[in-house]
Amino acid sequence: MEKKSMIGAWVTRVYDPEKAAGTLKFTDDLSFGSELLYARAARSTIPCGKIVNIDYSEALKVPGVVKVIVGKNFPIHFGIYLKDRTAMAVEKVRYIGEPVALVVAESEDAAEEGALKVRVEYEEETPVFDAAEAMKENAPLVHPDLGSYEHVSFVTPVPGTNIAQHFKIRRGDIEKGFEEADQVLEESFSCPQIAHAFLEPHACICLQDPVSQEVTIWSTAQSAFTLRELVAKGLELPLHKVRVIAPPIGGGFGGKAGITVEPLCLAAALDPDIKGRPVKLFVPREEVLTTSWVRQGWNTKVKMGVKKDGTISAMKVELVFDTGTSAEYGANPVRSAGYTSMGCYYVPNIWTDSYGVYTNKPFGGAYRGFGLPELMGGLEAVVDAIAYRIGMDPIEFRLKNLLKPGLPTCTGMPMPPHALDKIIKKVAEKIDYHREEPPVRKGWKRGKGIALAIKAPAMPADASSSATVEILGDGSVKVLAATMDMGQGAYTAYAQIVSEELGVPMERVKCYYPDTAAQPYDWQTVASRSLWSMGMAIKRACEDARSQLLALYAEYWQCNPEEITIEDGIVKCPKLGKAEPIDEKTQNGFKMPDGKYKGGPIIGRGHFVPPDVVYPDLETGQSEKSVVHFTVGAVGVDIEVDPGTGEIVVNKAVAGYDAGRVISPLNVKCQIEGGTVQGLSAGMFEGIYYDKNGKLLTPDFTDYKIATTMDVPWEIESFCEETPEDPSPYGNRGVGEHSMISPAAALGNALYKAIGIRIHQYPFTRERVYMAIKAAERGEKDFWG
Amino acid sequence: MTKREVHFTLNGRSVTYEVEPRTTLLRALRHHGVTSVKRGCEEGECGTCTVLLDGVPVKSCTVLALEVEGRSVLTAEGLVGKDGKLHPVQQAFVEEGGIQCGFCTPGMVLTTYALLKKNPDPSEDEIRLALAGNLCRCTGYTGIFRSVKRAAELLKDQA
Repeated sequence: MEKKSMIGAWVTRVYDPEKAAGTLKFTDDLSFGSELLYARAARSTIPCGKIVNIDYSEALKVPGVVKVIVGKNFPIHFGIYLKDRTAMAVEKVRYIGEPVALVVAESEDAAEEGALKVRVEYEEETPVFDAAEAMKENAPLVHPDLGSYEHVSFVTPVPGTNIAQHFKIRRGDIEKGFEEADQVLEESFSCPQIAHAFLEPHACICLQDPVSQEVTIWSTAQSAFTLRELVAKGLELPLHKVRVIAPPIGGGFGGKAGITVEPLCLAAALDPDIKGRPVKLFVPREEVLTTSWVRQGWNTKVKMGVKKDGTISAMKVELVFDTGTSAEYGANPVRSAGYTSMGCYYVPNIWTDSYGVYTNKPFGGAYRGFGLPELMGGLEAVVDAIAYRIGMDPIEFRLKNLLKPGLPTCTGMPMPPHALDKIIKKVAEKIDYHREEPPVRKGWKRGKGIALAIKAPAMPADASSSATVEILGDGSVKVLAATMDMGQGAYTAYAQIVSEELGVPMERVKCYYPDTAAQPYDWQTVASRSLWSMGMAIKRACEDARSQLLALYAEYWQCNPEEITIEDGIVKCPKLGKAEPIDEKTQNGFKMPDGKYKGGPIIGRGHFVPPDVVYPDLETGQSEKSVVHFTVGAVGVDIEVDPGTGEIVVNKAVAGYDAGRVISPLNVKCQIEGGTVQGLSAGMFEGIYYDKNGKLLTPDFTDYKIATTMDVPWEIESFCEETPEDPSPYGNRGVGEHSMISPAAALGNALYKAIGIRIHQYPFTRERVYMAIKAAERGEKDFWG
Repeated sequence: MTKREVHFTLNGRSVTYEVEPRTTLLRALRHHGVTSVKRGCEEGECGTCTVLLDGVPVKSCTVLALEVEGRSVLTAEGLVGKDGKLHPVQQAFVEEGGIQCGFCTPGMVLTTYALLKKNPDPSEDEIRLALAGNLCRCTGYTGIFRSVKRAAELLKDQA
């Protein structure tokens, strides 16, 4: 009987039993004893202005308050791509909610009470809330010092403006392309900022040893090592003097990547009066929106030219991202959308400007999909609209213009192999796209829509991973791979890989949560990169450990390593008729035939860095290998709308992606289901809103709606195609983020079919849909309200 | 603030906590190391702090600790057998992809447990309604619905 492969095996997920029992400890669940102090921020009440005076004398009178720290005590700039952010406002505030002082106390209650007693005097300045306004000449500058901020080479701020990032694509002859077109259509779509709404709020505990100056951080962090690096750089400490421990996190979606709330907590822990005592910063739900990133608001304008036969001849894309008060991380989704701005289509002539623009609002950063829901929310609507305009079926139009393998993307990089054509046809078939069906609910309107998805891991060219695999003295295996398993199921897939490569049962493999002092380096748990990049490192570490073990057994048994197998934890040499379970010899050494001991603990090492990514040219965006690879897919939805209320019900959603190779089917299925609902939730409900003074109106789950059990499609079907990736551990590529990219766009296309009017503003709330239906009744074809 | 004693049954055993009158059940439980009860919002909106109070799911952030005097509180840890075996409801969540990050899971499990006690064979509508007060951002609820159905089966097999 052939051995059953663990790659692609249907297995349940590691750590799920502890999660079901409630015994897994998250950051907020850890105990630090009675020396623990608590920090709470006092926050700006105005959107823009100079700090004239901060009076915290009353805060200090609150029993239990030990210290109040203000921005000028800790003026260090932190940031991953563009260092435009300090832990607290220094001299100037830039949005309502920005931390202006940090109250440190013996209890959480005292810290909170103290924070309420801080009084700040401001000299108000003119704010700017709208990204389009902020781009105009003479707009008030959110960061007058933009030119002096440190940034990575592939981010291009425009000093003297509010443009924190400007990414360009210049390919082909755009004017000629539009001249060749028989139809030209220009449309724009927009969406407010949205929230990650992970259920675990940020929490962080920081401690500095007063003697060694070493800093230890326990944090709800997706990326322990990048956090370590950014803290070490900011504090000018060597890397080994910063230790980041990242306990399990309760959802990330990008909102806990890079560096988030940690600098605020460090401001207290590093204070000379506090140093030596651990300080905890728990961010209450209502402050999560103002302290951490949101998804950037966006306006996507697409001008598309097509020939009579339906071929796209040219495309001009303008993406404006409202990045709020910081583009520290948000500069990169702006790039990601830019270098993928052809979508899933071959466009011979393309011109793209993608901007990240400062406004006086909470700041935008990484969010599942990373620039692509923002692009596809506009592009996929335009594709449907232009197909209708030329009288072509939207599916046929997509297939005709598909970015087939080998054709150049907008950066000139040849598109790698994929099976998107097959996926599109399958999705269309599964929602019966071409069949007009009567609504299930009496008096409602039914429509079906489809949208495509594409995304590459958006990361520096040299984002690396490493892992060690240690075979313990009883044949169980310790895997050190510093990915954060935040629910995506990385450790399950890693255990499958180790089981496959070493021939040990999966139950005997253990992966540990990140700790920079114990584990080897990994860049970040972002970009849907882990099972690909860390997967390579783990597979190589297994190969290393296995060859060490086989070499020792070969000498011990006096045979060739090739004659030895390991199955189910048993080492066998069929030729010699020998078989034994892995035992303490692998730890303590083998007593060889010559009577001498050899070996010792077996630790396999593996590392990986993408070999050949070239940053796109800053003026043209061209690069022979702009990204490591692309994952593509399609979403179809069958919906109904109640014309009396504007309510949308999703009868069925179908989503398919080219995963290259599915390693962990349960995880892939659940990632697709979760991302589809998150995408539909964004499309139907989600938006962060402010009053005219920039004060947040949606600070909780009552006003910031996310999908509940009552809002979920009645059926979700997911599937994968498997066109192998190379290089890749097993041909696999990421799918974690992709499921969130296009559900909202598919919803928009279905909505148009149902109600006959194109809504240009996300989300498609009941009120907006109802108003659009009324506009459609008046004969209008577009709704902008 | 002066502390007062509150006596109640926690997962089948009698306990006495000393609490301030303003302390919520959520904070009291967590202070005593019962950390399966999560603080996701402390505003009664997310359901991650759900406990069963005399068998009824409540959000422990909206209950004062002193209110549970003489009553019975069940948390997710309390469903696990003495032999370390998961309760069938918990097992079903593991089997059917009802868990991702795990932060909503204890609350989801308890609400499901209460639903199936009352209604051993719920319809899809009844499941959705029963779980409407527990938010989940990872799973899209789809795996959770499968888990509830599977839990119903497992409990029937057990009965």
